[in-house]
Amino acid sequence: MNGWTAITSRLNSIVRGYRSGLLTAADYNNLCQCETLDDIKMHLSATEYGPYLQNEPSPLHTTTIVEKCTQKLVDEYKHMLCQATEPLSTFLEYVTYGHMIDNVVLIVTGTLHERDVQELLEKCHPLGMFDSIATLAVAQNMRELYRLVLVDTPLAPYFSECITSEDLDDMNIEIMRNTLYKAYLEDFYKFCQKLGGATAEIMSDLLAFEADRRAVNITINSIGTELTRDDRRKLYSNFGLLYPYGHEELAVCEEIEQVRAVMEKYPPYQSIFSKLSYGESQMLDKAFYEEEVKRLCLAFEQQFHFGVFFAYMRLREQEIRNLMWISECVAQNQKSRVHDSVVFIF
Amino acid sequence: MSGQSQRLNVVPTVTTLGVVKARLVGATRGHALLKKKSDALTVQFRQILKKIVSTKESMGEIMKESSFSLTQAKYVAGDNIKHVVLENVRNASVKVRSKQDNVAGVKLPRFEHFTDGEPKADLTGLARGGQQVQACRAAHIKAIEVLVELASLQTSFLTLDEAIKTTNRRVNALENVVKPRLENTISYIKGELDELEREDFFRLKKIQGYKKREIERQMVAGKAFAEEQAVEKVALMKGISFNSAHNILAVGAEKDEDIIF
Amino acid sequence: MANKIPIPTKSSALIAMIADEDTITGFLLAGVGNVDLRRKTNYLIVDSKTTVKAIEDAFKEFTTSEDIAIVLISQYVANMIRFLVDSYNKPIPAILEIPSKDHPYDPTHDSVLSRVRYLFSAESVASDRR
Repeated sequence: MNGWTAITSRLNSIVRGYRSGLLTAADYNNLCQCETLDDIKMHLSATEYGPYLQNEPSPLHTTTIVEKCTQKLVDEYKHMLCQATEPLSTFLEYVTYGHMIDNVVLIVTGTLHERDVQELLEKCHPLGMFDSIATLAVAQNMRELYRLVLVDTPLAPYFSECITSEDLDDMNIEIMRNTLYKAYLEDFYKFCQKLGGATAEIMSDLLAFEADRRAVNITINSIGTELTRDDRRKLYSNFGLLYPYGHEELAVCEEIEQVRAVMEKYPPYQSIFSKLSYGESQMLDKAFYEEEVKRLCLAFEQQFHFGVFFAYMRLREQEIRNLMWISECVAQNQKSRVHDSVVFIF
Repeated sequence: MSGQSQRLNVVPTVTTLGVVKARLVGATRGHALLKKKSDALTVQFRQILKKIVSTKESMGEIMKESSFSLTQAKYVAGDNIKHVVLENVRNASVKVRSKQDNVAGVKLPRFEHFTDGEPKADLTGLARGGQQVQACRAAHIKAIEVLVELASLQTSFLTLDEAIKTTNRRVNALENVVKPRLENTISYIKGELDELEREDFFRLKKIQGYKKREIERQMVAGKAFAEEQAVEKVALMKGISFNSAHNILAVGAEKDEDIIF
Repeated sequence: MANKIPIPTKSSALIAMIADEDTITGFLLAGVGNVDLRRKTNYLIVDSKTTVKAIEDAFKEFTTSEDIAIVLISQYVANMIRFLVDSYNKPIPAILEIPSKDHPYDPTHDSVLSRVRYLFSAESVASDRR
């Protein structure tokens, strides 16, 4: 496979090592038994998160835990990125574009409401930072934003797609975010195809799943809003299992049952939707997360591909979500709900 | 008690007595009315107290639920959702309007929440967790409902508390200060009037005595005069007056010393 | 004199908030938030960096503002400025202490509830709560 060098192999083993550092079933069991956030901290100190939480004074907040865990992920990512060579470094950068889009959208929204840029920057996801992000705030409209700032960022090609001279409003911002994300997913998909080999194979599966999930979510979440069918159709990524026929069907769905009917035609998603009771859509996200985790874990079964890096990042993010969930449940005294949303990673 | 000795500084006349009596009647009626008002307020107050306690409890539950729904939204849509929400704030769509309820003349504020314009169907979390976000919104709107109700109750509570205190103060003031003072005044005026009356009576009696004596004296004088008249008549009939005879004698006795009887 | 305090009957008023970020996020989501022309918000996010002074100022501002009918304040925040909250005695805006998720609701600290309890035979409140 092209680009598979000694360094890449080393990183490959590092990431696999990191993967084994993910919390185990026993860890989760222990965490679920916790009564206070300090208990959680104590349990986490035995894991890889230990050093990050060590110096946190009590009382802890859930946000602090999440922040510190994210910090660990960021550190690992930076460690890998520093050592990576082409094309792995590009691949790793691609992984973070999603956060970058979120950050850009956040800054743009904040700018529109004339918030303080410094404050906004603090709220940005650390994985999605880029050098010129602070300058985003100078832009007053999309055209200016593109001309002044975004051309220098990796996101430039995505922006060219959704750029319009009309003014931004809330509706546009969310659509912009999703248009960007769509463009990003498609670009990532193309990039993986270009890499070829096992990477292409595995990543196309993972990205197709991601694209399909977004399509379904966009459909469900836009039911009853002013988003038109055409607009909805435009937000679906042009690949994945559902493309193109599923998209046509999803675009016209007006209620969840119709979505279910569409999705049940696709065997991989049948199991997800059959788990949901009639009319229920709340737990769909969890079902999707579980399916995603399953697929991400499978990525580790194969050798010599970049998918592991993507999979690792995603698994870590899921783990942080789990930790957030558990600590929130503990903090809010909702212990009975702990198991509702934890997606185990094994 | 100081009220015992206190009375209004008035001139004790019958007119003033009438005025003060009218005031006492007024004060008594006012006292009865205020007492009733205070009772009515207390009834309301008790009800509100009960409601406050129960609503506070349900608020605890609902707040717990709503913050948990936010957790769910954050779980699905990512932690960043809160920044998206924070940055998207523009104009309040949920507002309160305040009305007044009238309980026994006390104006109690009552808040009502309402949604200004249509709830903006925004697309927050379009690709991830939009549903949880909506659920979270619904949960918080529910929480707002309870909180607004609680706010009305609480404000009513404070207002009523104050009103009851004021009313009770007035009731007590009427009962313990105004009424005794008026009563004292009345008894004072009555006392004074009685005193006056007694004086009058005595004076009358005195005058009557004078008059009686005068009449007697006149009677006596009259009688004497009548006797005199009668004597004179007799003398005239005799041709000589008793008096002149007497006088002659007397004059003769004085003038003529050698006349001896 | 309760009757002397005018109770403004307004067609619309705002709900102000002083609380932690998550609570505020939730209520903003419900549509309570307002940003006026001078970019003043009707809420204050209290985190570990917020000074007591800032909270005091916000509290004073909200309680004197005319278009605010209710001030929601997280209980643990209220505890920081307890003296202000306790000395506040106007009916409008109404001060409401709300629980926050990290800090379970403690009825003994609520200035209004403590008065309620004082008036309402202590044991019945206590028994309700247990």
